[in-house]
Amino acid sequence: MTQILEIKKLYKNFGGLEALRNITFEINKGEILGLIGPNGAGKTTLFNCVAGIEKPTDGEIIFTNSDRSISIGGKRPEAVTALGIARTFQNIRLFNNLTVIDNVKIGRHCRTKSTFFGAVVRHRFQRAEEKAITENANQFLDFVGLKGRGQEIASSMPYGDQRRLEVARALATEPHLLMLDEPAAGMNPQESKDLMDLIRRIRDKGITVLLIEHDMKVVMGVCERVVVINYGEWLAEGEPQEIQNDPKVIEAYLGTGAANAA
Amino acid sequence: MGKVVLQSAYNKGKAILQKTNRGAKIRIGLLILALILPFLPFISDYILHIVILIFLYVILALGLNIVRGFNGLLDLGYVGFYGIGAYTSGLLTYHFGLSYWLIIPLAFINGAIWGILLGAPTLRLTGDYFAIVTFGFSELVVLFLTNEIWLTRGPQGLPGIDVVSIDLTLFGGPKWEFIGELPYYYLAIAMVMVTVFVMWRIQDSRLGRAWFAIRDDEVAAVSCGINLLAYKVIAFAISAAFGAVGGSFFARWVTFLSPDMFKFWESFLILCMIVLGGMGNIWGVMIGAVVLVSMSEVLRELLPLLGLPVKVRFLAFGLIMVLMMRYRPAGIMPIAAVAAQMRVGRMKRKKVKVAAVIKK
Repeated sequence: MTQILEIKKLYKNFGGLEALRNITFEINKGEILGLIGPNGAGKTTLFNCVAGIEKPTDGEIIFTNSDRSISIGGKRPEAVTALGIARTFQNIRLFNNLTVIDNVKIGRHCRTKSTFFGAVVRHRFQRAEEKAITENANQFLDFVGLKGRGQEIASSMPYGDQRRLEVARALATEPHLLMLDEPAAGMNPQESKDLMDLIRRIRDKGITVLLIEHDMKVVMGVCERVVVINYGEWLAEGEPQEIQNDPKVIEAYLGTGAANAA
Repeated sequence: MGKVVLQSAYNKGKAILQKTNRGAKIRIGLLILALILPFLPFISDYILHIVILIFLYVILALGLNIVRGFNGLLDLGYVGFYGIGAYTSGLLTYHFGLSYWLIIPLAFINGAIWGILLGAPTLRLTGDYFAIVTFGFSELVVLFLTNEIWLTRGPQGLPGIDVVSIDLTLFGGPKWEFIGELPYYYLAIAMVMVTVFVMWRIQDSRLGRAWFAIRDDEVAAVSCGINLLAYKVIAFAISAAFGAVGGSFFARWVTFLSPDMFKFWESFLILCMIVLGGMGNIWGVMIGAVVLVSMSEVLRELLPLLGLPVKVRFLAFGLIMVLMMRYRPAGIMPIAAVAAQMRVGRMKRKKVKVAAVIKK
């Protein structure tokens, strides 16, 4: 199996704090990989390093996109998105003052071209592009289950729908790798079930999914492989069943006594 | 026969009127009103002058709105670009007798260049720091205009700038000079229409959406592949370009320039128009410009009658801004989303009140 993302000996320091220490793992093409760990383990920092929001202190991140391997550690976030990595955020970040459809249209930004001249003159290329943007945006809304709600204002939607809109916006950038940061946080059981279904459908489209999640039902239900990190260090890796019974993981989550009891 | 033609024309007109929606009707009505305004009985040259001033400020406010309303950046130095545009236009006319029709595109490009020169290094700054730099820039422009006497004649001002003219002598036609307010009035209308048209189209385009994204959430915008610096610089350049075009019109209209026409106060006034009208909303910004300019003129007449110095009107502006912030913080005509949120807020408050009454 080929790797889509390789993280090699990744370090990230914030001043004296080592948020990530010697992290190494790989994501296979077409899989759903869960990234778990107790609060403050460095999961989101790892996301930010991959997405280009944070610059890794040391180490390498290699993204393989259609037979081309590129080192993306320290690249600008817009460049990373253009290469084909999209993400959602732990605390939803939508464009609150815009309509739902505009949010998704903005996701199309990195796959489209026209700027000032096109906007003013509206020549044939720009009109065709704009039409394609609208069509694509509607398709993605459809895909996440927000059909016909394009004209609502993003911030006025219920929480679960905002999560799905964020996924639609990320999908609109046509990623090869989609990173979801705690998508099930604050969802009721029905909503998380729908979410798991959505994640599987995304994978079926050929998009690799990297998932940070605290909701163990979601992680165990949808992930094919799980990586555990703790205190910024790689702790364990394997199939959900193995991870669930791994004493090291139980210790990290519940403390030493619990591990002994198990 | 004639009656039938008239009848069918009337019916056709009625059908068209029924097809157009309310917003379009208002727009067409306003345009017709603007076009026939100079011929209405109570319109004097003085009033026409003020209306042209309103149009000028509409252009300026729409230009600043790109940076403040569309991108959410605080630009306190907008008047610097206005001044650069005015003086460049004035000097080019004064020394080389350049035609105004050539100056408009030149002013646009000139403004854009200055916008890029200032924006590229400073737009990396965020929030207050950026505002301070732009403020410094506008002061710099005024100091330059005041002190570089060899170029600008300094505080004495630059008089005797040619009026705008349509020169057809090259093709054996007549030369028609713009004398009085009337031709400038129609020139200003045309310029406002072009500006609004450009804003309108940008608003509903990839470029406009990228700006709105930056305004709403920079981190999310960058994750959608938007290059923050590039798009902010584009915004700043286009905004500056409109400022410079406004300045070029101003120079050829009043035919006299002096550095204190471009003091910081002007930036503040234009900013007030945007805040008053509704940040980011094209119509709101235009309403803001109309309200503030006309009020400024009314107060200029009214205050001496009350025995107060004219400068008291600045106090009145301050008072209006305070009242707006208290009762309508999103402006007279906010963008749709903000308006919707405020409606929800009002409804919630009402519900709470009702609940309280029931408890009693």
